[in-house]
Amino acid sequence: MSEDPITKSHAADFPQDEPRIGVYVCHCGSNIAGVIPPEEVVDFAGKLPGVVRSIDTMYACADSGQRLIKEDIAKYGLNRVVVSACSVRMHEPTFRGCVAEAGLNPFLMEMANIREQCTWAHGHDRAGALEKAKDLTAAAVAKASFLTPLNMIKVPVTKRAMVIGGGVAGINAALDLAEQNIPVTLVEKEPTIGGVMAQLNKTFPTMDCSI
Amino acid sequence: MVDAARQPLIEVKTFTEVEKVEGYVGNFVVTLREKAKYVRADRCNGCGACTKACPVEIPNYFEMNLAPRKAAYIPMSQAVPLIYNIDMDACIHCYKCVEACGALEAIDFSMEDKLVEQEIGAIVVATGFSHFDPTPMTEYGYGRFPNVITAMEMERLNNSAGPTNGALIRPSDGKSPKQIAIINCVGSRDKRYNPSCSNFCCMYAIKNALLLKQMHPDTEISIYYIDIRTPSKGYEEFYDRARESGIRFIQGRPSEITEDPDTHQLFISSEDITLGKVIEREYDMVMLNQAAIPQPDQNHMSSVLNIAQSPGGWFMEYHPKLRPIDSPTDGIFFAGACQGPKDIPASVAQGSAAASRASRILHSDSWQIEPTVAVVWPDRCVSAKGQACGICARACPYGAIDYTKGLAAEVITAKCHGCGACVGECPHDSITQLHYTDAQVLAQIRTLLAVEPEKKILAFRCQWCSYGGADLAGTSHFEYSANERGLRVMCSARMDADLIYDAYRLGAGAILYSGCHPQDCHYITGQVVGAKRAARLEKIFERMQMSPGRFRVEWISAAEGDKYARVINEMQASLDAIPEDALKAEIERLRPEMAKKLTKLNEIPGVAQASVQVDFIVDEMIGKEKVA
Ligand SMILES: Cc1cc2nc3c(=O)[nH]c(=O)nc-3n(C[C@H](O)[C@H](O)[C@H](O)COP(=O)(O)OP(=O)(O)OC[C@H]3O[C@@H](n4cnc5c(N)ncnc54)[C@H](O)[C@@H]3O)c2cc1C
Ligand code: SF4
Ligand code: SF4
Ligand code: SF4
Repeated sequence: MSEDPITKSHAADFPQDEPRIGVYVCHCGSNIAGVIPPEEVVDFAGKLPGVVRSIDTMYACADSGQRLIKEDIAKYGLNRVVVSACSVRMHEPTFRGCVAEAGLNPFLMEMANIREQCTWAHGHDRAGALEKAKDLTAAAVAKASFLTPLNMIKVPVTKRAMVIGGGVAGINAALDLAEQNIPVTLVEKEPTIGGVMAQLNKTFPTMDCSI
Repeated sequence: MVDAARQPLIEVKTFTEVEKVEGYVGNFVVTLREKAKYVRADRCNGCGACTKACPVEIPNYFEMNLAPRKAAYIPMSQAVPLIYNIDMDACIHCYKCVEACGALEAIDFSMEDKLVEQEIGAIVVATGFSHFDPTPMTEYGYGRFPNVITAMEMERLNNSAGPTNGALIRPSDGKSPKQIAIINCVGSRDKRYNPSCSNFCCMYAIKNALLLKQMHPDTEISIYYIDIRTPSKGYEEFYDRARESGIRFIQGRPSEITEDPDTHQLFISSEDITLGKVIEREYDMVMLNQAAIPQPDQNHMSSVLNIAQSPGGWFMEYHPKLRPIDSPTDGIFFAGACQGPKDIPASVAQGSAAASRASRILHSDSWQIEPTVAVVWPDRCVSAKGQACGICARACPYGAIDYTKGLAAEVITAKCHGCGACVGECPHDSITQLHYTDAQVLAQIRTLLAVEPEKKILAFRCQWCSYGGADLAGTSHFEYSANERGLRVMCSARMDADLIYDAYRLGAGAILYSGCHPQDCHYITGQVVGAKRAARLEKIFERMQMSPGRFRVEWISAAEGDKYARVINEMQASLDAIPEDALKAEIERLRPEMAKKLTKLNEIPGVAQASVQVDFIVDEMIGKEKVA
C-alpha cells in the first residue's frame, strides 16, 4: 500500500489556511422546507465566523445545486464547503465528488443532516426543528473550519473473486464473473452445488424443470 | 449447475466451509476448511459402485429425509461435481466400498480436513435461506399426523426424480390423495415466529396446486391464505389461471388441524373471511408452506464476514434503497435469499448485480479506501520516552499498531480500518484519527452546546449503526425530542472519555453514548472497547452522584429507528423529571470535577488553537458582541 505523505505526516496538523466556508442549505422540495424556513438557517449561518457565502437551494444534490456549489468555489474562493441537507449515508459521496470536480479536496466538505435527523423527526415541533437545524449547521461549520485535505489510500487488487454459497444466486454470480475473465472460487458447504432450487420440482413462473 | 462446473475459470469447492476472513477490499485472505470426503476427487469417476456396495442406510437430507441414502453417497444423482462422499458418522468401517471401487482406489480413509488460504479481491455472499420447522405449532400436528407434510416435502414427493418417482401418495397408507389443502404463512406473518412475509410461498402454493391439478385432474385443492401476494410480472395472471382451473381459495388462517386416528383423515377448522363464518373441511392430505428463515449458521457467518444482520436475522445491506447489493464492508456483496427471502428470478438478478458490483473492483488495478486512519504523534507517545504502555496496540481490533517499548507506537496504515479505538484509549492523547481529530470533534460539541446546554441531549453515534438508527427514525417519521443534538464518529470505540467530560463541563443536560450491538460491530471488537469505557464512565458518574438518566448507554442498530426515538424520548423525560434549579445546581457542582479531568486537554495538538476560533462561532450563536 502506498503511504501517502499527506496522510501520514501532515494531515493531523492544524490547518494553516484562513477558512473561507460556503454553506448550502437544501430545501429538499418540501421535505426540509415544509417544516423549517431554510432562509433562516441561511441568514444564521451567513453570520458565523469563517462563512463567506451562505445560500439555500431547492435540491442541493441535483445538477443545478451541484453546479451552484462548483461555481461558488471558484467565484468566492471557497476552501471549505458545508452542505446542510440529508444523511451522509445518502449523499456524502455525492458532495465529496462535487467539490472534488471543482478542484477542492473532497475531505474539505462537511454535511449537516437536517432532513432524516431533523425535519423528518420533528415534523410537529417546527420551532425546535429550526433551532436544531441551526445548531447542526453551526457544528458542521465549526468542524469544517478545522478540516485538513486528505488523499484516498490506494490499495492493490487481487484479481480473484470468491462466491460463498452455490445456490442459484451464487452460481449465477460465479458464471457472470468468470465470463468477464475473472477467476472465481465457488465455495459450497454441502457435497453438491444447487441449493434449494435443485430440490424443487418444476418452478414458477415458467413451470420448467429446475435443474 | 453443470455450466459452473464446466467453466474453466470457476473452481468449485464443495463440502467446504469458510473459517476466517481477514484483510480488506481488494486484499482479503480467506481461510477455507475443505472437509474430508474420504473419496479422492482426482480418482473418483462417479460410477457409484461404492454406494451399491455400502450396507448402511440413513435418511437423505436432500430428500427431506423421505428417502434413504447410503453412508457412501451423493445427495442426488445429478450432483455437481459428481464425486462421492463417505459419511464418517454413519460408516461402520466394513470397507465394502473400497473393494467395490477396486483398481480406481478412489476411496481413502486417511483423508483429513484441509485448511487452505486464498487471496481474494472481492466476495459475493450467497448463502441462501433455511426452512421453518412447523413442529412447535402443535395446532397443525406436523410430526404427529403423518399426512401433514411441509412444502419442501411436497416438492420432493411430487418430483419425478424424488423418492416416489413423482407419484403423489399419502404417507399414512400410500393411497393417492383426492382432497388436498395447502396452508400459507405457516410461521410467516406470525408474531410468535416470524413477523415478516416469506415472499415466495403464495406463488409456490399456486404452482403446486396447478401442477397437482394437471397431473391428477380429479384432485380437489384448497389454498388457505391471509392475502395472496403476486406483485411480479405475470404473477397475477398465474393466480388467475389457478382460479379458473377450479382451485379453491379460502381467506383465513386455519386455527387447528385435527385427525381421525383410524383413517388419518384430517379436518381443518378455519375462519372463512368471505363467508364471514368458521368452517371445517375434511382433507386426505395437508401441505404447510413453512416460513423462509435465515440459515442456522447465519449469526456465525455474520461474525466471520464481519457484516451486520437486519432484525429478522438476514444479512443487512449498506442501504436498503440505494445500495441493496453492497454489504456495509467494502468489497463484500450479497446475492439471493441470504439478504431476505427472494424467488428465483430475483435471486438470479441479484447474482448478476453482485457480480457486476464486484467486477468494478476486480477490473481495477487499484482501489481507493478512506484515509480516515489513525496517526501517532511520536513526540507525545510515552513509549518513546521509555515508559511501558502499548494500550493502543491492545485496543486495536486489527493488530494495526506496532508497539515496541522504547519506540513511539506506529500505526500500520494498510491494516488500520479507522475505528478510533486506539485514539479513545490512549491515556496520553498521543494518537489521533484523521477527519475525527479531537480539535474537530470538540468544535462540534462546543457549538452544539452553545445555547442552553442544560436543555440538550448530546447524542454520540457510530457511523454504521446508531447513526443509521437515527436516520431510520426520521425516515419512518418516529418523532422524538428536538432537543437532541447528534454527533457522528466511526465507532463507539472513538468516543473518548475526554469528549464526554468536556460536554458535561460545558453543561450538557444529558449525553447518549450509542453504537452498534456487539455482534453488528463494523470493527470486530471496537464496540467492546467502547462498551467497557462506557461502563467505566457510568461508574464514575454514579460516584459523582449525577442524576439518573443524564448519562445513557444504548446499543442501537441501523434497523432500530423506533428504539432510537424511544431512547431519546425517555432521556427527555428523565431530564424533565429533574427540577430546573436542581439540574443547574448539579451542573455547577460537577463542572469543576469535569474540568479537573481535562487539565491536559489543551495540550492536544490543535485543540487550543481551535478553541479560539470556536469561541468566536459560539459568541455569534449566543449573540454576544464580538471582541475581536
Ligand atoms: C417449497 C419451495 C418452493 C419454491 N418454488 C419456487 C419456484 O417455483 N420458483 C421460484 O422462483 N422460487 C421458488 N422458491 C424459492 C427458491 O427456492 C429461492 O428463490 C432460491 O432457492 C434462492 O436461491 P439462493 O441461491 O439465494 O439460496 P439457496 O437456494 O438457499 O442456496 C444457498 C446455497 O448456499 C449454501 N450455503 C449456505 N451457507 C453456506 C456457507 N456458510 N458456506 C458455504 N455454502 C453455504 C447452501 O448449501 C446452498 O447450496 C421456492 C422455495 C421453496 C421453499
Ligand atoms: S466402509 Fe463405510 S462407506 Fe464403505 S461400504 Fe462400509 S459402511 Fe459404507
Ligand atoms: S497508548 Fe498512546 S502513549 Fe501508549 S503506546 Fe500507544 S500511542 Fe503511545
Ligand atoms: S485501533 Fe482502530 S484506528 Fe487505531 S490503529 Fe487499530 S484499526 Fe486503526
